[in-house]
Amino acid sequence: MTDPMTPNQFLWFLTLATGGVSALWLIWDLSNLRKALKLDMTVPGNRDKRFGFSIGLVIATLGIVGSARAQGWI
Amino acid sequence: MAAVAEVSAPRVVSPWNPANAVTASRYFTLPFFLWAVHNGYHQWATLFMLACGLLDKADGAVAKIFNCRSAFGELFDAITDAICYGFGLIVVAAYGWAPAVPVIAVITLGAANTIMRALYVKRAGRTTNYKSYAMERLVAYTGYLIGFATAGFSVMFFYWLFVPIMLVIIAYDAKRMLIDPIPPASGASGAMS
Repeated sequence: MTDPMTPNQFLWFLTLATGGVSALWLIWDLSNLRKALKLDMTVPGNRDKRFGFSIGLVIATLGIVGSARAQGWI
Repeated sequence: MAAVAEVSAPRVVSPWNPANAVTASRYFTLPFFLWAVHNGYHQWATLFMLACGLLDKADGAVAKIFNCRSAFGELFDAITDAICYGFGLIVVAAYGWAPAVPVIAVITLGAANTIMRALYVKRAGRTTNYKSYAMERLVAYTGYLIGFATAGFSVMFFYWLFVPIMLVIIAYDAKRMLIDPIPPASGASGAMS
């Protein structure tokens, strides 16, 4: 059974699927968080949003850093 | 009056709907994933897990298109996430493609989260799913985690950093599920959510 991609193609595929998606995710959750911060924080559901979107930012940052490490950029 | 009663009646969604079919189809990727890992096909294993993750995203879209969102569907989706990703993590750890210690930690915390969700349903007294924005993001990370192992992509970095993030989320969600008051069921909930 042959691999569908060359090792270099596969590395770039993973970089885009991880680092690229993480970059979009970072922008998306930054926008979500900005909206959530304007909501009434006495409502538990709104606090959940703020916490969740903040975690999303952390995870997205890890995705970008991990991809850069895999490529040997950092 | 009869018309008003019909409009306000909760909409009942059958569990045999297209969204749940897409969710169930995720299980078909697991034997292929195991086959690829067993035979050392790193790229194919990554692609099968990617298919499993994409189907996870697709079921939500299908539920919106066919207007068949339900509390059962959300719960089925959460259970399927746990089974598929738990299976994937166990396989990559068993074949030495991922470090065992963080995998054991993740599975243990995942099991604790499942138990807490069951207790939340018991407290609520109805079929409901605790919506955790943070856990939704972590579940996506879990899917990626398996892909990182099959692809040998910054494995130690991603696995060891996953554990403290999961601990923080579980601690936050534990308070929300086990201690905080449960929000009342909205209009059509029970059947819909």
